[in-house]
Amino acid sequence: MKNGLTERLRQVIPVDRLNDWERDEIFDHLADYEPLVEKTVIEQLGILWPISSPLCFDFLGHLTKGLTCLSIEQLPDWVKGILDIYEAHGLRAAREYMDDVEAHYLCTIRGKKGLSLDEIIPRLLPYLRGLSGQSLEIQKAPSLYTDTRSVFLPREIIAPARSNDNFYLYKLLVSFLWAEIELDIYCQQQTAPEVLEDFFLSFEDQELAASCYHLLQTVRRAEFLKSYLPGLMRDGQPLFRLLLKDVDLSDSSAGPGNELATVRQWLLCCCADDPLPDLSDETAAILHQASAEKISYEDIFGATTRFYARVRLTGDFKLPAPLFFQGKLRPAEARMARLSRREEQKQQFIKALAAVIPHLSGAPETETEQTEKIQIPSINESESGAILSPMGQDGKNEQSTEEKQNDPRYICLDDGQIKVPKELRHLAREIENDLGKVPSFYIASASRMAGGRGKTPATSIQEEEGKALQGGLLYDEWDFRRRGFRKNWCMLIEKRIIATKGTFVTTTMEKYRGQILQLKRQFEMMRSQQRLVRRQQDGDDIDLDALTEAYADLRAGLVPSEDLFVRRQRDERDIAALFLVDMSSSTEGWVGTALKESLVLLSEALQSLGDRYAIYGFSGMRRSQSELFHVKTFTEPYSEEIRGRIGAISPMDYTRMGPPIRHCTKVLRDIDARVRLLLILTDGKPEDYDDYKGEYAIEDTRHALTEAKAGGIHSFCISIDKEAQDYLGYLFGDINYTFINDVKKLPLRVPEIYRTLTS
Amino acid sequence: MQITGQKIEEHRIHDKPFYLVQKNELVIAEAAYKNGIPLLLKGPTGSGKSRFMQFLAWKLQRPLITVSCHDDLSTSDLVGRYLIRGGETFWVDGPMTLAVRHGAICYLDEVVEARKDTTVVIHPLADDRRELAIEKRGELLAAPPEFMLAVSYNPGYQSVLKDMKQSTRQRFVALELGYPNADLETEIVAHESAIDEKLARLLVRIAAMTRGLKDSGLQEGASTRLLVHAGLLIKDGIEPREACQVTITQALTDDREMLNAIDEMVSSVL
Ligand SMILES: Nc1ncnc2c1ncn2[C@@H]1O[C@H](COP(=O)(O)OP(=O)(O)OP(=O)(O)O)[C@@H](O)[C@H]1O
Ligand SMILES: [Mg+2]
Repeated sequence: MKNGLTERLRQVIPVDRLNDWERDEIFDHLADYEPLVEKTVIEQLGILWPISSPLCFDFLGHLTKGLTCLSIEQLPDWVKGILDIYEAHGLRAAREYMDDVEAHYLCTIRGKKGLSLDEIIPRLLPYLRGLSGQSLEIQKAPSLYTDTRSVFLPREIIAPARSNDNFYLYKLLVSFLWAEIELDIYCQQQTAPEVLEDFFLSFEDQELAASCYHLLQTVRRAEFLKSYLPGLMRDGQPLFRLLLKDVDLSDSSAGPGNELATVRQWLLCCCADDPLPDLSDETAAILHQASAEKISYEDIFGATTRFYARVRLTGDFKLPAPLFFQGKLRPAEARMARLSRREEQKQQFIKALAAVIPHLSGAPETETEQTEKIQIPSINESESGAILSPMGQDGKNEQSTEEKQNDPRYICLDDGQIKVPKELRHLAREIENDLGKVPSFYIASASRMAGGRGKTPATSIQEEEGKALQGGLLYDEWDFRRRGFRKNWCMLIEKRIIATKGTFVTTTMEKYRGQILQLKRQFEMMRSQQRLVRRQQDGDDIDLDALTEAYADLRAGLVPSEDLFVRRQRDERDIAALFLVDMSSSTEGWVGTALKESLVLLSEALQSLGDRYAIYGFSGMRRSQSELFHVKTFTEPYSEEIRGRIGAISPMDYTRMGPPIRHCTKVLRDIDARVRLLLILTDGKPEDYDDYKGEYAIEDTRHALTEAKAGGIHSFCISIDKEAQDYLGYLFGDINYTFINDVKKLPLRVPEIYRTLTS
Repeated sequence: MQITGQKIEEHRIHDKPFYLVQKNELVIAEAAYKNGIPLLLKGPTGSGKSRFMQFLAWKLQRPLITVSCHDDLSTSDLVGRYLIRGGETFWVDGPMTLAVRHGAICYLDEVVEARKDTTVVIHPLADDRRELAIEKRGELLAAPPEFMLAVSYNPGYQSVLKDMKQSTRQRFVALELGYPNADLETEIVAHESAIDEKLARLLVRIAAMTRGLKDSGLQEGASTRLLVHAGLLIKDGIEPREACQVTITQALTDDREMLNAIDEMVSSVL
């Protein structure tokens, strides 16, 4: 690709005479443009280079900004302007002119101040996720597009002059990109992954075909958004009118001959709610076909083919730049994203299904969970492994989040059907959307995993077994395969953390000064939640209700109660909380920092509340060396020393969760408190260097948590992860965990969670 | 001598309450009633639990006595107490006793808010003994077959202090009332706030968006009740976005960014 670019550049610039860094700089600047844009830019370089090569580099440096404001057709004009200034006033003036592209140049979309993406992500991301009901990500990129998993946005955009709300523009862009996912313009529902790319390949002029397709899809998107998000589109009308003027002015090609330009204009009028321009019968028919509410790929492909033919027929056209809110069409990226999602779903599904198969298929050893084999009479899909959906499900209804009822319920195995466990249904539906049905080998692998486990790993473990460990603290470990404990299997070594004198804690306190104050206030309020306890032997005041009652009882000939006082009770909060922090190697970096910051914030907040708490960190390697680090025990007060220890927390080895949980259970059990709380902060699932992985690890952890629960301890897990993992619900129960996908939020979320948990 | 504080007649429901059945709740509840098993309704706030109970009571032709639980609720508040008037003492039945005597439905709203020592009085009522001990009067009331006990709570609040005891929860038939599906909810909102279906659908759309935000830090999404409120204000001439802002956005959170994000959803839809 670079070679191609070199070739093209060589036509206008003596590439070979440049030194390496100059060449790299040029390549960097040109790397991300569409062929058409690149072509225009290179043409302009050819004009600039002979006049001044430094100017040429400056121009490249300003290009991205320029293009957010100018359409590609306007680029030559801009360059002309630059050269005029340069020749009259020199390089510096030319630079200023370029810097000020929005002010000097007559462009429609211009603004006073660009709004940086960082500033608005906190608002934009929940918006996008609420809109989609999925955990989509927002990423920064030079151009605007979505690969259906993430939405890529340019770092900066220049808002239109007359829009007082820069945020609106981002919102509009994000909504249009979301519509691409929602309307499935990348054809990801039950198709071959290459379907769209193959379709384009069938045309002589593929670029044109893609433009036609994207434009038709944008018409669809616009109409969809007009009905789904009417407010958004109404707010956008002034903006669309501005754009419309731009099209009128600049699009010299927008004549009767140029159907692409005509449809573009039609689209803008549609968005602006202006009177629609006349279309030829054929074009009108194409648009009608493309924007029908229920539409198949064949329909839209057909419309594209017709449109393409029509555009070609009208002959002499210039490919207009896509409208800025259209974004880029990136079928290849979407395909990659789909494939990686497919792989993840496959793994997730197999694992999750394997974990439940023994319960479901009614294997002899299952005692509790009874199998629900429900036969549906009208099933024609009898192939083993097919997933059946409840009757009467059809196309998407508008609330994808509300669709749970439509998720598949049954799986056909060789020996009959089993019910798909609730947690898996949604996943099964997504896989079905992608592949048409859940492939039978997913289910086969799952049952292999379920049936075959216990064989391979077990032997290796068996050899070691028996050599019970000596020294340290010994803990049993739960082996789900034999439904029993391995006695004294793990050795837990308690360690001290040596406090460091670093600046971590002070920096953190500085960074969150305002928030810490606020937290302290909030926590203080929890403490002063005084309760009036009624019916006490003595107290601060008379309990009138009780007194009346006693008097009445007396009159009624009963022995009156003597509990006639109300007392203010303060120490209602009889809570002991133990924070168990993951110190495994995976927490290295941001996660570790956020974990530590949250400990600081939490400790500060708890200071003003007065709940008893302890902090332990855990890590380790192999069963012989499970390590538990004392950051703060229940009896130690929060002090300089403790702060130093928090600062000294650093990532170690693996995540064997069983032993530390068992130990903490013991610690908590020895504490006399009304409520005992074990809060686990982690960034992933339990795993150790040896066989402590996968299901074994999950089952042991689960068992350890069950033991804690039996001991009257509430456990809660805060997990930092990109997305919620199914196993969390399994380990902690649906409402006893929360996951945080934005590390930056962790430090404030942890105290907040503690507050909700205990109030 | 026995004078009741409240008259049972006041608790009869004569007009059919507006309630749209979500799924199996009516069938299950009727079966529970028939078999004398108490009912536990779980669900987020504003999802129609109270309304469902009114509907059920109407359907079963039983009076409905609702008690909102709080942590000061004492056993006497439920069972009854002696009072004095004009030098005379007389006994006043509490709501629970009243319901048992008349074979009514007794509905304890937000039962987890009540202290655990209060909730134990319902234990003998909630198992196959079906009896209520009025200690002060040395009376043991057997509940007639028409009597039904129902409680509700919201499992979304994760406070460990308010977990229900197993011995309590295992006495009930448990029904989960989530938010109704989009079509049903549209119909409810349109009916309850007398707005047109189109607007109702948009409000429901906003709610659906907020309900997907648990992982982004919103504890609970907008309930049907909030939508009804929004609809009522709009009906009354308040500008739609403003109406949603005060009924939905501000009600859901205090977090600045989250407030903004929800406002953006509102302004996208309306
Ligand atoms: N299925 C339904 N049919 C009719 N109206 C409903 C239904 N679901 C909810 N509503 C409406 O929502 C409002 C709130 O419902 P309701 O008061 O029953 O909620 P709730 O579950 O009892 O809430 P809370 O837990 O806060 O007490 C009702 O006033 C009613 O307007
Ligand atoms: Mg209610």
